[in-house]
Amino acid sequence: MEIIKTDVAIIGAGGGGLRAAIAVAESHPDLEVALISKVYPMRSHTVAAEGGAAGVVQDHDSLENHFNDTVSGGDWLCDQNTVQYFVENATRQLTQLEHWGCPWSRKEDGKINVRAFGGMKIERTWFAADKSGFHMLHTLFQTSIKYPSIRRFDEHFCLDLLSFDGKVQGAVLLDIAEGTTKVIQAKTVIMATGGAGRVYSYNTNGGIVTGDGMSMCYRHGVPLRDMEFVQYHPTGLPGCGILMTEGCRGEGGILVNKDGYRYLQDYGLGPEVPVGQTKNKYMELGPRDRLSQCFWQEQQKGNTIETKRGDVVHLDLRHLGEEKINERLPFIRELSKAYVGVDPVNEPIPVRPTVHYTMGGIETDANTATRLPGLYAVGECASNGLHGANRLGSNSLTELVVFGETAGQQAAQFAIDTKHVAVAKVRQAAQEVMDRTHALLHSEGTESMSAIRKEMGDTMEQGVGIYRTEASMQQTIDKLAELKQRYQNIAIKDKSSVFNTEFLYAIELGYLLDTAEAMAHSAILRKESRGSHQRIDGFEKRDDENYLKHSLAFYQAGNAPQIDYSEVVITTSQPAERVYGAAAEAKTDDAEVKHG
Amino acid sequence: MSKRKPYERELPTDWWLKHAFYTKYMIREGSSILITLYSLILAWGVFRLSQGPEAWQAWLDCLTHPLSILLHLAVLVLALYHTITWFSLAPKAADLWIKGKKLEDKPIVIGHYVALAITTIVALIIVAAY
Amino acid sequence: MAETLIDIDILRYRPEEDDAPHLQTYQIPFDDEMSILEALQYIKDELDSTVSFRWSCRMAICGSCGMMVNGEPKLGCKVFLRDYFPNKITLEPLANFPIERDLVVVMDDFIEKLESIKPYIIPAQEKSIDDGEYIQTPEQMAKYKQFSMCINCGLCYAACPQYALNKEFTGPAALSLLARYNRDSRDAGGAERMKIVNAEEGVWGCTFVGYCSKVCPKGVDPAAAIQLFKVESAKDYLIAMFKPD
Repeated sequence: MEIIKTDVAIIGAGGGGLRAAIAVAESHPDLEVALISKVYPMRSHTVAAEGGAAGVVQDHDSLENHFNDTVSGGDWLCDQNTVQYFVENATRQLTQLEHWGCPWSRKEDGKINVRAFGGMKIERTWFAADKSGFHMLHTLFQTSIKYPSIRRFDEHFCLDLLSFDGKVQGAVLLDIAEGTTKVIQAKTVIMATGGAGRVYSYNTNGGIVTGDGMSMCYRHGVPLRDMEFVQYHPTGLPGCGILMTEGCRGEGGILVNKDGYRYLQDYGLGPEVPVGQTKNKYMELGPRDRLSQCFWQEQQKGNTIETKRGDVVHLDLRHLGEEKINERLPFIRELSKAYVGVDPVNEPIPVRPTVHYTMGGIETDANTATRLPGLYAVGECASNGLHGANRLGSNSLTELVVFGETAGQQAAQFAIDTKHVAVAKVRQAAQEVMDRTHALLHSEGTESMSAIRKEMGDTMEQGVGIYRTEASMQQTIDKLAELKQRYQNIAIKDKSSVFNTEFLYAIELGYLLDTAEAMAHSAILRKESRGSHQRIDGFEKRDDENYLKHSLAFYQAGNAPQIDYSEVVITTSQPAERVYGAAAEAKTDDAEVKHG
Repeated sequence: MSKRKPYERELPTDWWLKHAFYTKYMIREGSSILITLYSLILAWGVFRLSQGPEAWQAWLDCLTHPLSILLHLAVLVLALYHTITWFSLAPKAADLWIKGKKLEDKPIVIGHYVALAITTIVALIIVAAY
Repeated sequence: MAETLIDIDILRYRPEEDDAPHLQTYQIPFDDEMSILEALQYIKDELDSTVSFRWSCRMAICGSCGMMVNGEPKLGCKVFLRDYFPNKITLEPLANFPIERDLVVVMDDFIEKLESIKPYIIPAQEKSIDDGEYIQTPEQMAKYKQFSMCINCGLCYAACPQYALNKEFTGPAALSLLARYNRDSRDAGGAERMKIVNAEEGVWGCTFVGYCSKVCPKGVDPAAAIQLFKVESAKDYLIAMFKPD
């Protein structure tokens, strides 16, 4: 058994993991960092983020504005201490990326340019055309090469965490090419494995977004928090689910139904803003949860457009003109042409809501620490309280760098204060993981893995989708229980060692099922509607009295998760009605009159 | 023990026949052989000129041989091919910016043809004058 | 109506049982909208779960699914069955890379080359974050932007006969990345990196085949990056010749 000792192990080398690694390497070059990823770092799904990253830069904007937009965008389920820390550090971290070479789009004078984004009162979204995540990821990856203390384990799949003696002790890895296991003995571990969008059939996520880190922590007793909150992005391509960035609407794109009518004005997001203009927090610049819900409503009314890829509405960019589309949205044009055969310069793009982001995740405090000593989590896999019940677009890329740095610093300090335990115990714990893995690989089951995966995706769409009912969620819960049972008996035909992807898919499917179960069980017990969790079975209103709290799903081996709750941290912003469009302005006026 | 056994594929000697792009590239590169031959013939002519009028006349007579004419035709075709392909690649080696925008490929290629036309005309004028 | 079918040949190589790669034919239902990557997923899910290939984003940005499609380097997610139907499609691992297994190639050399060219900003002097961003006009950004679009898919190495003949050659993607940093107004590491450019395995290993730029799915144009460096390198050489030591 190969045991590699390190100070800080980071699992996942997307934006969050890379930023954390650099933070450790910069502040403590003497600490060894093991940066582990099941793919090469630049394949991580940060790469697919398009629109941009939020950080206050304009004189007429303020941290308070960013704070308020985020908290109300999250329907007051945000931990406000976390949000405060986030908005205070956002611009600094984006500037740091700029210093490292990130090609943020510029104004004519050479300063950072910003674009409008949904739910943001003032333009504050930094962007690199429509490949913001791509450029951030490549900048971070390339910068990380500078630091000799970062040892990468590319294409190493994390089989499990090691935890005993009341703290995290490392991880067991499968070297995908070799097919052999390696044990990382670490003083501290940072989880940065990304989301779990692949539990749904239609999603914007890459194939690697399978909730690995969430499930691993969950199985080690760390609760998954707020898992019922799953974001549907309102504009994905039908069929494949590929993302059409919110930046399309930030630049002035409009959404219309089959009659060419801008239906958003019928759902509290109006009045209509003239085509060619944008007004922050109005119409197409409303938040994602609302816009996805509007689609569903229109679909019920029969106002959507039927296509062979399913019902859609149209995202119309034509009035922006070819030059602006090429400058600001070149990737969107490329994707739309390739995957639905539509050139947005000449035709509107068919779009529908698709699963995009898991607001919930591994419970952490505002400093990225989980309740398991030595274990930290950052990025989409974590729930640090930033996004509440609905994430605002462009907050998550910033989250990666703000909390990536924090996680790196916190973990470094923890590593300095800690000693490695005796190897024998690590060896023993690792052996158990290896035995389990070996047993899975050599199991002689009969259940089709792809069938389970497909049924899971479909039942999640049906039961824990944009609108939810007790009955639909119960059905999903029952189905997931059945699928988990069947998973115990899956067929793995390929028993080989070298680059056995069938085996990896099998382990990933296990991660997916656990994550899905946490989502469904958290959802059914939240008897209210808040942010992305919308019920239409008598709980259509937000219920602050009973549910202004985080849900916590605790893993119970062989049983349904146990759901508990924790307090939401509220500092300055008391829960209020969440309104957009003209209603928001009326509310602000009202408040000013009161204070005036 | 590692079960890896990375397999190295050998590059077949006829790799350049496997894809039209490579074949065209090899013709472009290969054309330089005949063009070199042509320059040697010219250089030989200059040398013969220095040996007196008879030697010069003998060289001229050689050129009228049908084989020589065929060779020159082949050289002409390949020289034209080389020129066209080379001109079409020229923009890649040009880093010309006007008002913050990279100059498009087309004007660079056209520029090369214009230069070719001018030098040809100048050469013809000189030849005609003597 | 009977289903329309299409044949797909995959070059299989499983190191634990095969001595050499061999083609295996699969027949799948033809779908107008199905990408090659989706066809592979269909094969893996429905016909043969032992076929290995890399993939993730399915939107031509993560760079995982490079492979040879009928002899040409392509991203599996960006080509479609309809581009070849009704003809048979042959899928092979990226040329010029060692085959790890099936369509998976060994990327180590490629990654090492990317790492070797100092792909990070080397500033003239450290600038504090408190002093805000560097000023960089859109014109200054345009000088390097194109070369920053590389997704590291490796198609250009599969297209490069020079790399095939000499694995020491730094190659198209790495040299483009080098250009991306050398042309960035924030960077002052140009002289350091020119040593890599001028080296034997640097730009002079290129004979300007130009196929790298043709196959690049992101319009990076590595051939241009390399030719521009040849101009720079020649200038360096001339200056060095006349400069007294």
